Amino acid sequence: MTPASRRYLHPEAIARIARLELRARAVVEGLLAGLHKSPYKGQSVEFLQHREYVRGDDLRRVDWKVWGRQDRLYVKEFEEETNLRLALVVDGSASMDYRSGPLSKYDYAATLAASLAWLALSHGDAAGCAVFDDRVRASVPARTKRSQLTSVVEVLETGHSAGSAATARPTAFQPVLRSLAETLPRRGLVVVISDLLGDSEGLFAGLQLLRKRGHDLAVLHVMDDDELDFPFEGPTRFEGLELPEQIACNPRALREGYLAALDDFLAAARKRCAAARCDYSLIRTGEAVDAALVKFLSRRSTAGVER
Amino acid sequence: MPSFDFPPLLWWGLPLVAAPIIIHLINLLRHRRVQWAAMELLLASQRKYRTRVLLKQILLLALRVAAILGLVLALAQPRWKHAIGQMLGAGRTMHLVLLDDSYSMTDRSSGSGLGETTAFDRGRLVVERVATELAAASGRQEIAVGRFSVCAEAPPEDAADTKPDTPPQRFDLPRQIVTPELLPVIRDELATLVPSQTDAGPDAALTAAAELLAGDAADSRVLWLVSDFRAGQWKAAEGTADLLRRLADDGVELRLVDCAAEEGQATNLTVERLQVAGGVPATGVVVPVELAIRNHSEQPVRGVAVDLREDGSPRPGLRIEEIPAGGLVARRFDVRFPKSGCHLVEARLEADAVAADNLRTMVLDVADRMDVLVIDGDPRGSGRSGDAFYLSTALAPGSGAPTGLRPRIEPPRALSTLELETFDCIWLLDVARLDAPEIAALEAYARAGGGVVFFVGPRSDAETVNTTLYRGGVGLFPVPLAGPVDLIVDGAEPGPDLVVEEHPVVTVLSGQRNPLLDSVRVDRYQAVERGFEPAPAAGLRRLLSLRNGAPLAIEQPFGEGLVVAILSSAAPTWNNWSRGNPSWVVVMLELESHLATARRTAKSPEVGQRVSLMLEQGVDGIDVDFLVPPDGRVIRQTATAVRAGVLEAAIEASAAGPVVARWKRLDGTEQERIVAVNVDPAEGRLERIGRERLERTLQGVAHRYESAASLQPDSGALAGVSLVNPLLYLILAVLLAEQVVSFLASYHMPARRRAI
Repeated sequence: MTPASRRYLHPEAIARIARLELRARAVVEGLLAGLHKSPYKGQSVEFLQHREYVRGDDLRRVDWKVWGRQDRLYVKEFEEETNLRLALVVDGSASMDYRSGPLSKYDYAATLAASLAWLALSHGDAAGCAVFDDRVRASVPARTKRSQLTSVVEVLETGHSAGSAATARPTAFQPVLRSLAETLPRRGLVVVISDLLGDSEGLFAGLQLLRKRGHDLAVLHVMDDDELDFPFEGPTRFEGLELPEQIACNPRALREGYLAALDDFLAAARKRCAAARCDYSLIRTGEAVDAALVKFLSRRSTAGVER
Repeated sequence: MPSFDFPPLLWWGLPLVAAPIIIHLINLLRHRRVQWAAMELLLASQRKYRTRVLLKQILLLALRVAAILGLVLALAQPRWKHAIGQMLGAGRTMHLVLLDDSYSMTDRSSGSGLGETTAFDRGRLVVERVATELAAASGRQEIAVGRFSVCAEAPPEDAADTKPDTPPQRFDLPRQIVTPELLPVIRDELATLVPSQTDAGPDAALTAAAELLAGDAADSRVLWLVSDFRAGQWKAAEGTADLLRRLADDGVELRLVDCAAEEGQATNLTVERLQVAGGVPATGVVVPVELAIRNHSEQPVRGVAVDLREDGSPRPGLRIEEIPAGGLVARRFDVRFPKSGCHLVEARLEADAVAADNLRTMVLDVADRMDVLVIDGDPRGSGRSGDAFYLSTALAPGSGAPTGLRPRIEPPRALSTLELETFDCIWLLDVARLDAPEIAALEAYARAGGGVVFFVGPRSDAETVNTTLYRGGVGLFPVPLAGPVDLIVDGAEPGPDLVVEEHPVVTVLSGQRNPLLDSVRVDRYQAVERGFEPAPAAGLRRLLSLRNGAPLAIEQPFGEGLVVAILSSAAPTWNNWSRGNPSWVVVMLELESHLATARRTAKSPEVGQRVSLMLEQGVDGIDVDFLVPPDGRVIRQTATAVRAGVLEAAIEASAAGPVVARWKRLDGTEQERIVAVNVDPAEGRLERIGRERLERTLQGVAHRYESAASLQPDSGALAGVSLVNPLLYLILAVLLAEQVVSFLASYHMPARRRAI
């Protein structure tokens, strides 16, 4: 394990999540048969449906028994078990640099991403990663090779450090997600890890686009404890990490209004993710990474069974 | 505008008011910097709450400034001017303060905790505060202060020399403009004022005040009557009310300030009387003295000890077991002085609410012998069988039983030749006739306080007595005579011939049957005219009667003196009383003392009255030194002629105690006389007129009544009502409001963790 890997892969977290299965809620294509439902129809032992023959269909897949009975050409479609293609999209914008504890939001998000990548790779699934702010700063396509985890971690490292050179790195979801939709070769699970601060309209537009392309979506909304509780006291000057505004105030006087705005923000995120059929999980940085992962995976597992 | 007791604290403290603003500004500079991600949310909150937060912060800042301002003001002791302060506007205001200084104002039974001990102290404090208020007031404020006793004095003789627009000054503090610079001087002058020992009431002071205020053209005039409002001083309440009404009608604002203690009436005993109760004030002779103590309180007083002194030396005192509430208890004690001259007797009570009436003094002018003039009506002088013998033997039995009397037997003509004033008493024994000059001299003697006794026996002619001495009731003789009659005794009816009536002279014989009187036989007497009915105003009193109901001895006041007619003989001619009967001696000596009391009782002026000394022109010098109490200060007075051959030197008694007058005769011999000056015992009655009665009396008179305590809730209340307490409550309210606003501004909101 490289130093970067050690940084983002917490052994305790990995040990706890290794028992879990990463399941896609919908049919995704995968290489590990039996574990992941593939969105692609092909040869398999499990019959899915009949459909009318169209020009270009493989004649080997025509069900001759149906032709003999009904004098019509139908092809048989089978459901194949495929491996998962996991795409981790990590927000590396300036707002992710905030920290109230040992980990900044970005550190926390990177840990989550690395852990998920390791899990996928350990199951033989493919895992890729991209770090972005207003554009994609670094990325690695999904692979199943053993050294892929190192590549993912390197992307998490270089993508953020590349962005740090800029004084302010605003978040621009839409162009990033659009480029991902265009570049991801096959449908898979796209996990967006971000604080969702910034271009929220672009985020949901991008999610809709990915959804249309058949990707399974999950949003891990990482927020710092301070951002959720707003515990500040005493005269404080707040300086925007991405915005140029400054507010000098008594934080307690604004707390009520801030929390109300936060509730509205979280409710909107949850609602719009649901509209895009996207799993949404709010994670606070004070929470243990493993606990957050267990919660996320359990939720997905339950949802998959229900479906 | 409120005034401040400690203005420097205000000026030093006012900059502190800026502290919350400065702290606020410093906090603005000391902002903690936070690099914040969720700026949009914070901006949304700020947009929403900006105005509200700003208003709350301004309100909070204002409340904090107000709290500190309140604290600074409270430290500076603000006070709002009293009603009098509001009354003090621009223009000229004349304040005339009449301060009761009668000795009841020395009542030290209670205090209101302001450091004063007597009602007079409270009154003086009121005056001081009025002056303080005036000093702080706008406009020209003038004040004059006069004590009752000083205002009651006659204006000084040089008053006529003062300017026409300046009324004669009869005040302790003459009219002056009150300024802050003059305030210490006024305070010093007030501190020198002490209560007098007089019973001076408000009437004379009000009269003087009316004179002063009537000639004053001030824009407003205020009369302060500072008194304890004792019932005794308001005996003539209607007259006092009339004086006040006239002042009120004249536009003078009346302020009545009650300085008396508001608690119940205190215990006060008064030595009401100390006087000779008979006897002969002669050297070596026992003289009974009567002492009377009055209890002026509402509960009985037990175990009253009276300290007695003779010429300053203590002698065995008296102890009175109980004096009932409001009651008077009299006791007698004997004094005897071996030397002639003026002797001082003092009676002193233990300390109580009022000290001035606990002491009373009496001067006893003791002579070697008291001359008694006996006019013998027997022209031949009947020797040891005559009236004069029996009487003089009774008055002066001999050296074995000194009575202090020295009878001088003279014929009737001596009445016109002798100086009758030198005699203790005059006895006329069966005088057949008196000439007009003799009767005139005798009447003058009696009218001046002398005592005259008539014995009418065989030589007295009823018609002559009636025409020359009785004269239809205007003369000396008490009753008209009908002539001599025999006392008819019915043998079957036993009993004494003499019947003792209710009279101090024969008190010793009254009561149970007296065997000495039983042996007295009256054979003949001068009967009173039949049908004579004395006028009630004549004041006739019987001393003795006969068994048939006819009067035997009758007393009649005449001028300041007394006349007694005994309608029988002194010698055992018509009766056997004087023959070896001890009761004869006793009654004659008692009669002598009784008749001479008026002459023997030395004049005892009260404080505030004149102590007068009469001198003989051509014999005495004209300079008299008066040594006045309490410290024996010497006042030299020059005697002036009051009538032919008589000079008078006088001073006004200002304190109780013995006043010693010393002067020299032209022959060089030094003379001395002591006069006892006492307080008016009635002033010791501490009963109050009461608010209700006072209001009834002053019905229709615009005035304002207030107690000294209510006028001064604290040490500076007259200068204004203290605002400290209301201010403290206000500060408390502001601080509470500050906490509420702080809470509303979320400064006290706990930073709780949200459950996500």
